[in-house]
Amino acid sequence: MAEVKVKMQPPDADPVEIENRIIELCHQFPHGITDQVIQNEMPHIEAQQRAVAINRLLSMGQLDLLRSNTGLLYRIKDSQNAGKMKGSDNQEKLVYQIIEDAGNKGIWSRDIRYKSNLPLTEINKILKNLESKKLIKAVKSVAASKKKVYMLYNLQPDRSVTGGAWYSDQDFESEFVEVLNQQCFKFLQTKAETARESKQNPMIQRNSSFASSHEVWKYICELGISKVELSMEDIETILNTLIYDGKVEMTIIAAKEGTVGSVDGHMKLYRAVNPIIPPTGLVRAPCGLCPVFDDCHEGGEISPSNCIYMTEWLEF
Amino acid sequence: MTQAEIKLCSLLLQEHFGEIVEKIGVHLIRTGSQPLRVIAHDTGTSLDQVKKALCVLIQHNLVIYQVHKRGVVEYEAQCSRVLRILRYPRYIYTAKTLYNDTGELIVEELLLNGKMTMSAVVKKVADRLTETMEDGKTMDYAEVANTFVRLADTHFVQRCPLVPAAENSDAGPPPPAPTLVINEKDMYLVPKLSLIGKGKRRRSSEEDATGEPKAKRPKHTPDNKEPIPDDGIYWQANLDRFHQHFRDQAIVSAVANRMDQTSSEIVRTMLRVSEITTPSSAPFTQPLSSNEIVRSLPVGYNISKQVLDQYLTLLADDPLEFVGKSGDSGGGMYVINLHKVLGSLATATLESVVQERFGSRCARIFRLVLQKKHLEQKQVEDFAMIPAKEAKDMLYKMLSENFISLQVGCQ
Repeated sequence: MAEVKVKMQPPDADPVEIENRIIELCHQFPHGITDQVIQNEMPHIEAQQRAVAINRLLSMGQLDLLRSNTGLLYRIKDSQNAGKMKGSDNQEKLVYQIIEDAGNKGIWSRDIRYKSNLPLTEINKILKNLESKKLIKAVKSVAASKKKVYMLYNLQPDRSVTGGAWYSDQDFESEFVEVLNQQCFKFLQTKAETARESKQNPMIQRNSSFASSHEVWKYICELGISKVELSMEDIETILNTLIYDGKVEMTIIAAKEGTVGSVDGHMKLYRAVNPIIPPTGLVRAPCGLCPVFDDCHEGGEISPSNCIYMTEWLEF
Repeated sequence: MTQAEIKLCSLLLQEHFGEIVEKIGVHLIRTGSQPLRVIAHDTGTSLDQVKKALCVLIQHNLVIYQVHKRGVVEYEAQCSRVLRILRYPRYIYTAKTLYNDTGELIVEELLLNGKMTMSAVVKKVADRLTETMEDGKTMDYAEVANTFVRLADTHFVQRCPLVPAAENSDAGPPPPAPTLVINEKDMYLVPKLSLIGKGKRRRSSEEDATGEPKAKRPKHTPDNKEPIPDDGIYWQANLDRFHQHFRDQAIVSAVANRMDQTSSEIVRTMLRVSEITTPSSAPFTQPLSSNEIVRSLPVGYNISKQVLDQYLTLLADDPLEFVGKSGDSGGGMYVINLHKVLGSLATATLESVVQERFGSRCARIFRLVLQKKHLEQKQVEDFAMIPAKEAKDMLYKMLSENFISLQVGCQ
């Protein structure tokens, strides 16, 4: 008599059934379920069968695998995304994931290679593929003009990559900056002059000659000379260049949170000023601007007594 | 002393004092301190001529002497003092703006003669002024003396060091060269007695010749046999005080440029009141209360105390930091921050040179680096908002002329 081993066949042994159950569970908990939850739901399924089911779901693109601090999480994948990725293989999905993680700063192809450990040829093929599917795009970085970074198609590239408002297609727009420079200065100058002419007591005069960075920003926006939208920080960088030109001075005052234009409880005020000395004596004489200053000495070929600039200057 | 400076000193000495003085002077500037015989030997001039030249130089405060051990007297030339000769016109002009023609002539006489007694100065200046006046009018000695006293009170002229009164005449053989001393307190003390005495004597001598107009008298009596009442008390121009005045002028005009006329007047008043009480190298002036300032403002300016206080507060709060508040007594104690002012003026001068020499964009980069101390190439481009190529060009141009220096940092 042969012993018949009766194996207790669990009722839901069908793999499809298992997958469906798992998907149902995922729908129940849209934030993701751990392995433990699946185990609790279907205690009679062996670990191996569970793993097979999960792997199939993952490869079909219906589940997302995430790592949390408690362990692995399985989450139902967005149907849209699931549709997109259909037909892509695992490698592509990996590369896509890496690019997505890079956010709006983008990632260089070499970095993708490091992260995914895929050979260069594969990477290039995948990138071309993804680009043609309009899932990613390449953006030229302004810092190194040969470098291309990849990011998701619908993301706005970060400032550090495009250079912000001052760059249009990798070219620094110096005329634009100059125009803004002059406009800001004129605004501050007029403000200071009206304050001076108002002839009120000195405190009021001084305070009304100041303009906050917010005021200047509003004025520039209303002028409409910029096709690109400028933020307050952009205007502040322009105002800083005016400070380095010695035409404007800045003070920082404490402002209550919530007053217009205050950042972190401070407000920056700007005022047009005159230089404290007229052009200095040395440069008003020809010697200060002379290109051969170092070669000039009495008795030499170039000397003060036969200096043509000096003669011209004294002729006035 | 650089070659150029020595050449300049030589030209100045030659123009003002002649060849022999120039030879001796330049020799001393080149070689430093030397005794009499060595000078004579090295320059190949006779001892007599060397003595005369040294007399001239010492009279004009261009050479000083020192007694070394073993009784050797060494003479040293002061190159920087020689270079000040270039500024004589400016000193004279300053005296003119402050004390009119009388002051101008007094300072001119003192500068051209090195050292003079007060009576000699007064007499000479009165004579010169009388010559320029209309016929029949004369210049009163008292008026000139008055101006002289005012110059002394504001420290523009000072007494020269004297031979100290011999206490015990039998202290042994006299030293080879007298050591001159001057008491700090006496430096600006005008000999009062002689002043009054002079006045009287002048008047009495006028009474002697009442018929003649005074204008003719000095010309016809060249030898004045009267004993000089203040013999031994010599006066010289105090150049440091003029320099202090120039500094004050620069400060006032800087404030006028940055703020307005009234603020600059206030600063001028503050400087005027602390003229004499503050030593010229002090970092701050003596604290002045706002009450004092209101009292000392020039007569034309009648601004109320409150307005003055507002101006003072504005001055103290200004980012320039020229004026500081040092206390609250007496309505607020204010000082002028001299070192800060001079630093700002020096910086502004440098920036002006860079601007005129290289252009305003280079000036922008220069100010930027001055403020931030150390910057990388990329940071310079970002802060100054100048395209990379141009910024590089400008930085290298300034580097080649030594306005900016490069420092290799560790990566």
